[in-house]
Amino acid sequence: MSIDMANENTAAGKKKRITTPQIIAFLFLLIMTVTWLIPLAFGVFTSFKSEKEIKSVGFQLFPEEWTLNNYKKALSNTTSAPLMRWFGNSLLISLSHTILILLVVSMTAYGYSRLDFPGRDKLFFIVFIISMFPDVVSLIPKYKIVDTLGWVDTIFACIIPGLGGVSNVFLVRQFMLGIPKEYDESARMDGANNFTIYSRIILPLVKPVMTVVALFSFTASWNDLLWPSIVFNNVDKMTVTIGLELMKSLYGDYMYLGQLMAGAIFALLPTFLLFLFAQKYFLQSMSLSSGVKG
Amino acid sequence: MRITPARKKEFFNFLFVAPHLVLFVIFILIPILFGLYISFTRWDLSGSPQWAGLDNYKEILFNKDSTFHFQFFNGMKNTIIYVVASLPLLIGIPLLLALAMSAKVKGTGFFQAVFYVPGLFSISAIAIIWLLVFNKRVGPVNNLFGSDAVWISTQPYAWIVILVVSTWAFLGGNMIIYRAALSGIPVDLYEAADIDGAGAIKKFTKITLPSIRFQLLYTIVMTTLSSFGIYGQARIMTEGNPNQSTFTIMMYIRDLAFSSGKSISGMASAMAMLLGLLMLVVTAVQFWLMNRDK
Repeated sequence: MSIDMANENTAAGKKKRITTPQIIAFLFLLIMTVTWLIPLAFGVFTSFKSEKEIKSVGFQLFPEEWTLNNYKKALSNTTSAPLMRWFGNSLLISLSHTILILLVVSMTAYGYSRLDFPGRDKLFFIVFIISMFPDVVSLIPKYKIVDTLGWVDTIFACIIPGLGGVSNVFLVRQFMLGIPKEYDESARMDGANNFTIYSRIILPLVKPVMTVVALFSFTASWNDLLWPSIVFNNVDKMTVTIGLELMKSLYGDYMYLGQLMAGAIFALLPTFLLFLFAQKYFLQSMSLSSGVKG
Repeated sequence: MRITPARKKEFFNFLFVAPHLVLFVIFILIPILFGLYISFTRWDLSGSPQWAGLDNYKEILFNKDSTFHFQFFNGMKNTIIYVVASLPLLIGIPLLLALAMSAKVKGTGFFQAVFYVPGLFSISAIAIIWLLVFNKRVGPVNNLFGSDAVWISTQPYAWIVILVVSTWAFLGGNMIIYRAALSGIPVDLYEAADIDGAGAIKKFTKITLPSIRFQLLYTIVMTTLSSFGIYGQARIMTEGNPNQSTFTIMMYIRDLAFSSGKSISGMASAMAMLLGLLMLVVTAVQFWLMNRDK
């Protein structure tokens, strides 16, 4: 299949008639989209089928009888698979982590981009280079440190360690470097100090990139699997992502497929809703973070 | 050192980056150094590490009778299979999708969302939903497409499952990078090529590809790096089976250090170091290869 792109990358409004390549492209996208939606569709519809129906009726997309039972059962479990509790844990952890990230990243990027101190740029460079080392090596020691701090089975284990990350700082610093220095200078002449300039002038200007940072931080925190599986032993303290892993090992066979689906759908709702409300920021994150482009 | 007003100002400036620096040192720098150190010891996470010199490395790399030797090479083999097989899927397909969308067809906003959103879901939710899709009794793959395969527990179907799920979940990010990149290519390049009578393939290889070269390199490097850490899909869907044929190196490292029973952190750290070094080498090679013919 060859797609002739010549006629397609035109300025808006130049060509109104539909070309063959456009039809091919559209069909291709349509087929891919339908394929892409199949898993989610099955998951959602199965979550509304009664367990009996799942076991007796064979393969079928739509439920013969819609039921909320799976959700009721899954959400009211407080012992073997406390879904609500997990959800609450995740919410607390991800929100706290995101708020702190916003604070730390913006302050740090501000410092590295607009405040002078000896060795500033060299320091940032060294920090950045070190952070490039694959983090598989630091997994075990990080756990030991967290353990020594007494944070195992607490929310702090998932909130604090990630705050030392450098890629977000790099991003925001890049963005801030594009803000004219005159803003700071004229504010300083009016007697403003570092903190005032940071909070009143710079922060409002970096809202777009900070929004992107917040969205991605929240999502990464919510979906993290490996690290929470290491720092949480207590079932009640788990996040919803590792809780689902536990749920699958408990319910994975045919007994409770409906409940399992209900759990999975419930777990992905927050980030899904986040996307619905903030699509623009997710999808345009690349142009906002164009500090990476050549 | 005299505390001049200038020095004082510099100190207060530095304070903006100090919190992050502390977090960085505690949770990134020290773990890397500590991880390196532990790899030369025998340690069970409690008590003090026993120095073992190069013993861990020697055993992992050269002792054919050692379980750890088997685990390392099996894990690396499986991980590399995944890295190599997933790369074309996670680069080629999103590129095709981005090209199709740049044909300015109707509904690209919706299409884009469909391909992007799965990346925002927890891998455990994704695994659960896809297990339903590949379920012999009620899933569409066996029933709609008439397949007889026992997907999860036989090869090569287990790998196919992992690759399909990973593609579904992760190609969205690269897709929007390519979309942004493609939209930045000047139209006149194509129009000039049209005048010269160039065909679609030529336009693609001589104009499109070189124009997005930077984004291609970036996505290839980042995708490869994150593929080395593959964990969730193999852990939850196939559980490393059949016969440990989908057991990834990340799974072995984590289990050696954190599974029930005695923690074998020295060995796990050595494996982690080797993995980390390999990742760095692969990245360097990729850079070299792609910058070779400038």
